[in-house]
Amino acid sequence: MTDKILTIDCSPPVINVINDLLGKDTDVESHAFDDIRELINYRMIIIQDSDDQDDVLKRIRKIRYACYFRNIPIILIKIKDRTGSIESYITAGATEVLSLGDPQAALRQILKGYLIPNRQPLTEEMDYINSFAEHTCNVIKTVASLDASFEEVYFANDFKIFGDISGLIALSGGADGILGITFYWPLAQKIIAQMMATDEDKINAELIHDGVAEIVNMIGGSTKKAFVGKPYHFEISLPTVIVGSGHQISHSDNAPVAVLIFKIDFEYFALKVCLKPNKENKEQGA
Amino acid sequence: MKVIIADDSLVMRRIIENAIQSMGLETLHAGNGHEVITLLEKHGNNIAVIFMDWNMPGMNGLECLKSLKGNDLFKHIPVLIISTESEEERIDTAMAAGAKGYLTKPFTSEELIKFINKSI
Repeated sequence: MTDKILTIDCSPPVINVINDLLGKDTDVESHAFDDIRELINYRMIIIQDSDDQDDVLKRIRKIRYACYFRNIPIILIKIKDRTGSIESYITAGATEVLSLGDPQAALRQILKGYLIPNRQPLTEEMDYINSFAEHTCNVIKTVASLDASFEEVYFANDFKIFGDISGLIALSGGADGILGITFYWPLAQKIIAQMMATDEDKINAELIHDGVAEIVNMIGGSTKKAFVGKPYHFEISLPTVIVGSGHQISHSDNAPVAVLIFKIDFEYFALKVCLKPNKENKEQGA
Repeated sequence: MKVIIADDSLVMRRIIENAIQSMGLETLHAGNGHEVITLLEKHGNNIAVIFMDWNMPGMNGLECLKSLKGNDLFKHIPVLIISTESEEERIDTAMAAGAKGYLTKPFTSEELIKFINKSI
């Protein structure tokens, strides 16, 4: 299948270089920034730097939001020589910052590397993924009377998830890991308002913070029962919450991270499950 | 009569409070077991029931339950444990410690009201 690449507000020279580098196996589309909506069907997004760094950062954040938690690389092409830190672009949601002045072979290799598909779950991994998905939908339905649908899942070893608020809970015992749920503000506010049977404008940051912690707590607590007697059985800790526009959660222990994406009406949220049976438990099960 | 709602989650306390107030009962809030004991020392004679989350920072719900059941002044007050975890072993532990009932989160408001009516 041809990979769909989107260039946003890129100049003809940049589009030509991308076409030359990625070749016939890709379908390069070009759109204006103001026309972008949902970007989940693209395999890569290319944008071009400008002199107005604040505007570039704002665009990167909006593009990252429109990826709706998919691991879609956003490549920023700098026309002029790199100066200063690229950290602000990466923090905003860019995956890589490249320069047209870089050697062509290196650029090609880097871009093709980002087109390698995410790993899909193995059959045995689907057992625990489906349990988490089912209990997540059940928790949202029971406490907020909202229908969440489980859209897709992929594995990422080195993935930064972007969002406005995340609830995290450490998992330990027979299996170790972490469970996290990430929302952008509007959906979090909507869910908490539904939970409390009140209007969204009455839901402040403190209640969203508190409610997101409770949601991840309920998902962890209700799912763990499904794993009694299995290698993936775990105990849960008290939840913690990370807040901040465009915050990132990354994992550094090389454990596989399943990213489950859910949809409620036209908005999305993500559940991250990083779960690894511990060594003793694995040996007992063998 | 008053009801103590002990949960470290303000959202959960409000959800439970909404259901209880619809039954005409006054509520007091606690964020952990220590706060429950403080409230009991002040309002002990007027407390009809305690809704107690298991997982709370500081003194958790089970520790608080055990403490109350070992106290002659408070051991008569029914304690209803609320938890996200529903393994039988856990429920047995709470009931053996003296809980009057055990409700698993998530729950609907209808399930909560039914649980309250059944338990008190």
